[in-house]
Amino acid sequence: MRPITRRSMLGGSAAVALAATLAACSNGSGSNSGSGDSGTGSVYFLNFKPEAEEAFKTIASTYTEKTGVEVKVVTAASGTYEQTLQTEVAKSNPPTIFNINGPVGLATWQDYALDLSDVDFVKDLTDPSMALTDDAGTVYGSPLATEGYGLIYNGEILDKYFAMDGAKATSIDEIKSFDKLKEVVEDMQSKKGDLGIDGVFASTSLSPGEDWRWQTHLSNYPVYYEFKDKGVTDTPDLELTYSDNYQQIFDLYLNNSTVEPSALSSKTVSDSMAEFALGKAAFVQNGNWAWSQISEVDGNVVKEDQIHFMPIYIGVDGEDKSGIALGTENYLSVNSQAPEADQQASIDFLNWLFMDAEAAKLLTDNSVVSAAPYSAFAELAPADPLGAEVVEYLNNDELYPINWVFQTYPSQDFKDQVGQHLAQYAAGNESWDDVKKYFVEEWKAEKSA
Amino acid sequence: MTKSLKKYFLVFTGPTLIAFLIAFIVPFFMGLYLSLTKFTTLTNAKWVGFDNYQTALTGNTGFVKALGFTAVVSAISILTVNLGAFALAYLLTRKLRGTNLFRSVFFMPNLIGGIVLGYTWQVMLNAILRHWGQTIVNDWRLGMAGLILLINWQLMGYMMIIYIAGLQNVPPELIEAAQIDGAGKWETLRNVTIPMVMPSITICLFLTLANTFKMYDQNLALTNGAPLKQTQMAALNIVDLMYKQVGKQGIAQAQAVIFFIIVSVIAVLQLRATRAKEVDA
Amino acid sequence: MRSSKPARRKQTVGQNLLTAFLAVLTLIWIVPLLFILINSFKGKFFISDSPFSLPTGETFAGLTNYITGLQLSGFARALGWSLFITVGSVAVIVLLTAMTAYYITRVKTWWTSLIYYLFAFSMIAPFQLVMFPTVKIADMLGLATPWGMIILYLGFGGGLSVFLFAGFIKSVPLEIEEAAYMDGCSPLQSYFRVVMPLLKPTAVTVAVLNAMWVWNDFLLPNLVIGQDERYKTIPIVIQMLVGSNGNRDMGAQMAMLVLAIIPIVVFYAFGQKYIVEGVAAGAVKG
Repeated sequence: MRPITRRSMLGGSAAVALAATLAACSNGSGSNSGSGDSGTGSVYFLNFKPEAEEAFKTIASTYTEKTGVEVKVVTAASGTYEQTLQTEVAKSNPPTIFNINGPVGLATWQDYALDLSDVDFVKDLTDPSMALTDDAGTVYGSPLATEGYGLIYNGEILDKYFAMDGAKATSIDEIKSFDKLKEVVEDMQSKKGDLGIDGVFASTSLSPGEDWRWQTHLSNYPVYYEFKDKGVTDTPDLELTYSDNYQQIFDLYLNNSTVEPSALSSKTVSDSMAEFALGKAAFVQNGNWAWSQISEVDGNVVKEDQIHFMPIYIGVDGEDKSGIALGTENYLSVNSQAPEADQQASIDFLNWLFMDAEAAKLLTDNSVVSAAPYSAFAELAPADPLGAEVVEYLNNDELYPINWVFQTYPSQDFKDQVGQHLAQYAAGNESWDDVKKYFVEEWKAEKSA
Repeated sequence: MTKSLKKYFLVFTGPTLIAFLIAFIVPFFMGLYLSLTKFTTLTNAKWVGFDNYQTALTGNTGFVKALGFTAVVSAISILTVNLGAFALAYLLTRKLRGTNLFRSVFFMPNLIGGIVLGYTWQVMLNAILRHWGQTIVNDWRLGMAGLILLINWQLMGYMMIIYIAGLQNVPPELIEAAQIDGAGKWETLRNVTIPMVMPSITICLFLTLANTFKMYDQNLALTNGAPLKQTQMAALNIVDLMYKQVGKQGIAQAQAVIFFIIVSVIAVLQLRATRAKEVDA
Repeated sequence: MRSSKPARRKQTVGQNLLTAFLAVLTLIWIVPLLFILINSFKGKFFISDSPFSLPTGETFAGLTNYITGLQLSGFARALGWSLFITVGSVAVIVLLTAMTAYYITRVKTWWTSLIYYLFAFSMIAPFQLVMFPTVKIADMLGLATPWGMIILYLGFGGGLSVFLFAGFIKSVPLEIEEAAYMDGCSPLQSYFRVVMPLLKPTAVTVAVLNAMWVWNDFLLPNLVIGQDERYKTIPIVIQMLVGSNGNRDMGAQMAMLVLAIIPIVVFYAFGQKYIVEGVAAGAVKG
């Protein structure tokens, strides 16, 4: 899911104000019917993306106007989603729809997730394997969106490089492997002065809590290829067979960055996006949500038609046929402990949200999603350039996507600690073997617990 | 006098005690119960007895290590905060020029709170450390120093206010009398002032103790335990276990209880020790 | 007793040195606050790159951060509720905990001592220990409103405040109360007429400390009333400026912090005056 852009927020402020007034009115009358439990049921959607709050409220009020069913949208403040969910479900009016982030989240919320196997919008999934299921195949969650990440580049800077004498490539299409990427990147780094950049890659943010692009997204690559070799979707014994590949792409980022590797543990995602937006770096690894973080902000020099995705190459055979990493980690579940009428109202709402053409259009136009794996979204064009490229990669049959297997990682704590080991490696306090050792041993320990 | 006062128990203490019961005592016992269960939310707790306690103390949750780190950070901070705060309060009751302005500035860090302040410090300290090619999380000693610095900055002004109130309650006649008796400044401070402000010392020691041991926001924002959980304090350890691992809420709850007991014991010892030194007016 | 001294006397060399030392110290103290102020005028791209530099040219964002923050977050309503909850809680806490502290200090039995220690323990307990149950109880009792928050804050703030009052009531001379009893005052009368005025300096301290805490508190109001669109408080609104995927608008957050500080600075300046006055009153009595 993509965060809403500032343009749509400010431009639509009149509509939002109107919607807010409507929502305020319906809230007032609705709270009575909510506690009364008068058969019709109401929806309480606990949203966890603060950027999407206004959009969801607009969508909810549209639904309420059409059907008369009250839809309450509540957004948990950043960093408090788990606490909020845990306290809210114990309250007298619990959320009826909530987010979980994959198998690990499902393990926590199994008691509260309704069996959605026979629900219309789940059956409407264009790819049934996208549903969140337990081992027996029962569906407990369905994705809100399909998202993608890869190497985002600024076409303007690369074109400048390709036009230089002795450039190692003349077009982005020539970069189809890690070796070629490395050759180009290192050459660019040596000419960074002429290119007007501080470094090829925006800084590899390794500040605590800001390291998910490396400990989750980048580490997804070696794990994905290992799963593929072994023909599994999860394993209790990860060997990290592609450890060397993980290291060499990470090294490439570290050594051709805007700052010294030892300074990276002070960098945040915002820093890294700012460097890219200000034209100080040619590449940044991130997902389709990145556009809204850099566009429409004072100082952004990246033009809308010059921002593109390319796949991340880590040096695996046949990777010239790989695309960007596609998947989801945002599943919607219905609260099985909510009153039955509310459960039904929630399912009806979700059926509308994902299967109705108008609702689908609202979701994409308000930049809540770029693409979603339901048929109603097939023809819709996302509102921003990176979202459009995600759709292109989705529809590209020649390239295989890198699936988001990081959902199977044992816990958030595991990922955070991998991140801290990466930071120690970058600072020169640890060897790569230490990173690998933690990854393999902790994976085994937590998976067997 | 106390006899006639005694009958007014409900009038004097009733409302506070009811609120205290609702907001703390009852939840506290429910919290104790949760530490003996496996739970995701309050409504699906399953009894497991003392298993959680065993795991908390012997499992690899990093709790014991976090306790050790907390103890070191707290011990240093309690000392520096209180010495600093008392010194400031002492100077700022000397009728120096600009006293009011100084007091206000030292107290100011308490005006803003929360996580954003912690992030601000992180950005600031990192900008300074950059001159030496370091960051606050490259080395745990830097993280610890940063934490202690932040604690001092935040708490010193707070404690200073309490010490000032205490110092101003010392009757000037006592000090004058001591000086007439030929006592020097240092002797007056040690033999008259300090015994008279003992209630403030009791309060401040206890408050710094409670605040530093329980510290969470600052720890989260400044280092988040990095590198490798070496700067993880007990509260952060508990919260991380609760939300960042699967099915360990009960263990985290048990850790919270153990942590509470340990700090309580220290606090009771401290309260008894310093209250014994208080002189009743 | 010191009234004979002129209001402004000449400082000695030592005192001048001390003043200079304190001035330097306050400058150091204020750096982080200036840092927030300076950066609240910078574009979000420029904050961590050179955090100490003044906003100039392209890094200067004018009032953009303030406008962004105000537009997105419903700041005005949050300000109203924050004020209501803070003022209400502080008033209730100061009035009621002083009485509680007076009672348990003057009536010395095993159970008043127990109450004292229970309050002290409540300050030690990690919030996580009571978090889920407190929110649940607040929900069950219908306390999930700004009014209910005042009761919760009385319960939570009670520990610190009783503790502070108890510490100072001990230094209030018993003779004064006893004199009031001799004159035929009931305990309530003697408390309100004699004891309470003497507690004024402590009361101001308690009020200031609680006001800071309630005003800045995030987690408790977020969990109890934060899900209700109507009742968001300022810290909740500030936190809502942090998006997912590392989309953090530090500029707008710092601008909101600056705005959030203003009312409390006014309140504090007001309180400072009373501390000074209250102490002066105490000195006259002494």
